[in-house]
Amino acid sequence: MGIRLLLIGLSTERIVFRRTVCKLSLNYLGFCQMTTQIFNTDKALGFAMRTTVLLIWKELLHRKGSFFLAASVLTAAVALCVVVTITEDANQRETRRVTRDIGFNLRIIPRGTDMEEFYLSNYSDQTMPESSLDKLARMKNFSYNHLVASLQKRFLIEGHRVLLMGISGEQAPPGKKKPPMIFSVEPGTLHVGFEAARLLGVKKGDAIALGEKTMRVARAMPEMGTVDDIRVIGLLSDVQEVLGLKGQINEIKAIDCLCMTADKNPQGILQEQLQQTLPEARVVMQSSIAEARARQRQTSEKYAAFVLAAVLLVGAVWIGALAVVNVRQRFGEIGLLRSLGYGSQMIGSLVLGRAVLIGLISALLGYFLGTWLALAWGPEIFPVTAKAIRAMPSLLPWALFVTPLLAAVASLIPAAMAVTQDPAEVLRNQ
Amino acid sequence: MPPTILLTNVSKHYLMPRGRRVVGLDKVSLSVEAGQFVLVEGPSGSGKTTLLLTVGGMQRPSSGQVTVAGYDLIALSHSKRAKFRAEHLGFVFQMFHLVPYLNVLENICLGAGRKSDAKAQARVLVDRLGLADRWQHKPSRLSVGECQRTALARALIARPEVILADEPTGNLDPENTNRVLEVLASYCDEGGSVLLVTHGQEAYGHVDRRLRLENGRLTELKLEG
Repeated sequence: MGIRLLLIGLSTERIVFRRTVCKLSLNYLGFCQMTTQIFNTDKALGFAMRTTVLLIWKELLHRKGSFFLAASVLTAAVALCVVVTITEDANQRETRRVTRDIGFNLRIIPRGTDMEEFYLSNYSDQTMPESSLDKLARMKNFSYNHLVASLQKRFLIEGHRVLLMGISGEQAPPGKKKPPMIFSVEPGTLHVGFEAARLLGVKKGDAIALGEKTMRVARAMPEMGTVDDIRVIGLLSDVQEVLGLKGQINEIKAIDCLCMTADKNPQGILQEQLQQTLPEARVVMQSSIAEARARQRQTSEKYAAFVLAAVLLVGAVWIGALAVVNVRQRFGEIGLLRSLGYGSQMIGSLVLGRAVLIGLISALLGYFLGTWLALAWGPEIFPVTAKAIRAMPSLLPWALFVTPLLAAVASLIPAAMAVTQDPAEVLRNQ
Repeated sequence: MPPTILLTNVSKHYLMPRGRRVVGLDKVSLSVEAGQFVLVEGPSGSGKTTLLLTVGGMQRPSSGQVTVAGYDLIALSHSKRAKFRAEHLGFVFQMFHLVPYLNVLENICLGAGRKSDAKAQARVLVDRLGLADRWQHKPSRLSVGECQRTALARALIARPEVILADEPTGNLDPENTNRVLEVLASYCDEGGSVLLVTHGQEAYGHVDRRLRLENGRLTELKLEG
């Protein structure tokens, strides 16, 4: 009885298996019929293409190990390129955000500033109209990414000396949307430096009287170990009102104004331009910071380019080597095809077509794998700009174009080996 | 009617390391008419495969003239010889040379060249050669005899003028050997020519002529029986 049940079980399994095989066969036959219909439009071309595609596809499925090795290497290479490209963008943003705390590239101050006093106190004793900011923003031939106007003076609060600073909203170039480089300040609020907060004994939510104006502490800053620790920062208009300097500023801070060039003096160029548009202002360039930032970015870009090139080169060499092995494995088959009258074009396209197909599959897999990796791990590596790490769909068409091309180029030598193979030699050595 | 295969004073020498020369064919002349089943026998290394490769246009002779199905093979370019093979020749090898990842029907169709009715023709041959229940099997699942019948069908599908067979029965049992030879003989009855290279004597009863190749020289033998 037990054996009978076992036999029934086995035969049921067989039926299920056969049904599955039948379904797969029907799908396959349907696919074949469809491709045949497509290719039958031009019989000569159709025949060559149909046979080539059939041979490539079936060979890939037959030699799964070789296919898997080639595809996995290319997929990894594409994924790595995608990860590097996506995170390189994040890396640059992260660098900007991190380096912004060091300072700005340019400080545009009133022309009549006593420079000795400026360097001693770190702010100008003169003022210039707030409209200078708009003029500078509209200035032609002046490239910048962020502009902030400020008014800064020493100020006494409850008998304690602090640096009272008002900042305007950040101005980005017309038509460009740039992520903010500094925090924004709400009207009627203050951001109080660590030491200033300690001296005044205030914390978030407390009120501070600035002359006749009372303002609320929006944030007590952590200790920075810089002059920022004794700063009390408010909105420009609020501070102008407190200081009685309505419509006046004493500095415009700018970032990314000029690219670093080895053979030109950006400060001189800018000074010349300012002379015409803003005769009331002069420029001080924090060249070491600007250069350090530019160098860091250039190093990062060079490194990314090197990694991409190295990955592509290693991928190409690997694909080429695997294609050589594949052609060697198929010497008998290629000799047979030649004896059957298949020409060099057909033999070559078998090798190149295989490479292109592997390239296409790898590009697709690699793009999605790389994007997934970048989105999954990128935010951990670049926490400050984590939210800005996004998939880059524009990379997909590039991957679909470059990867098959690279695979085909890497397979040129194996293809030449296949084409020049002497069928007589192969058949003689059977 | 001109002969299907015409070889005139064909010689083939191979240059070996240290300048040694090996003679593959030595002034071989041969004429095979349409419908003839010709057997070439001889010991290993006597030049049998060289003869087949030369007639098949896969090897240029050192000297002499080779005309097959009206084409002067030496005058044809590389690509035209490939086209010529596809349209006028069929090959059968001892090791079958089936493509391992194609099934029986696809392997047969591979020999059809650009013929549009390849699949229909392949099915006819599958039935004729007793492979009807094996058409979707890959070579790894076929017996030796079935593999050789598949290779034979692949050679026949393009309806070539000439079939060149290199030891096609070398790995077969007597029953399959007889079956293959019968198919080749009936192909000759329909007007095709077969040049069969073999060691064995199984084909004596099927062929029209017997030739012996020794040290590159071809001699005609008397047909027994």
